[in-house]
Amino acid sequence: MSQNSDTNTVHTEVCLPAHLHARPAGRLVQVAAGYAAAVDIEFGDKSASARSILALLALGATAGETVVVRAIGADADNAVSAVVDVLATTE
Amino acid sequence: MAKPVGIVLVSHSRQLADGLRDLLLQVSGAGEDEAAVAAAGGTVDGGLGTSDARIRTAIRAADRGSGVVVLTDLGSAVLTARAVLADDTRDDVRLVDAPFVEGAVAATVLASTGADLDAVCDAAREARHVAKL
Repeated sequence: MSQNSDTNTVHTEVCLPAHLHARPAGRLVQVAAGYAAAVDIEFGDKSASARSILALLALGATAGETVVVRAIGADADNAVSAVVDVLATTE
Repeated sequence: MAKPVGIVLVSHSRQLADGLRDLLLQVSGAGEDEAAVAAAGGTVDGGLGTSDARIRTAIRAADRGSGVVVLTDLGSAVLTARAVLADDTRDDVRLVDAPFVEGAVAATVLASTGADLDAVCDAAREARHVAKL
């Protein structure tokens, strides 16, 4: 995990244990909504807001692939941790 | 957290609306009782078509006090929903132009986070512009 103290941007990589399908994507939106930070999930050259389940699904991220969780805002650290937890425990 | 915005699914087919509701409950992780999602599919006698009475009942069932978004499949579902809303003096029951399945998924998931009526309406509308592939 790396952090820029000026803008409080935090990002980390997570390897998906399962496809980013509808149920975990829905859970991700719900968890991310609990933080003020803006959270994005990046996969390849695509990026999706954690507010949009449809954009998350359109990433097409599958099991074994690595995505980047990026958050900007005062509570970015906690937001990234919480979202990574959702992704890392996807079934 | 604020009570969720309600979602009403208006379809010509009872199975289509009920099946979409099942999908929404699973994606949003909501239990049968807590979900503010109501299906209004088919006619009163179970045939293909739309029913103003079933739409009114569904609006009441989905309403938790934070507003209701009405989504339709196509054609006369739009006309019937419009007629029902024209008779309703409330301004927090809104018919939104969105793809039926994708709009409902986007709206329901966002509603489950406690987002307000405007945000949930926007999520449904934006579903039209999110590529699936």
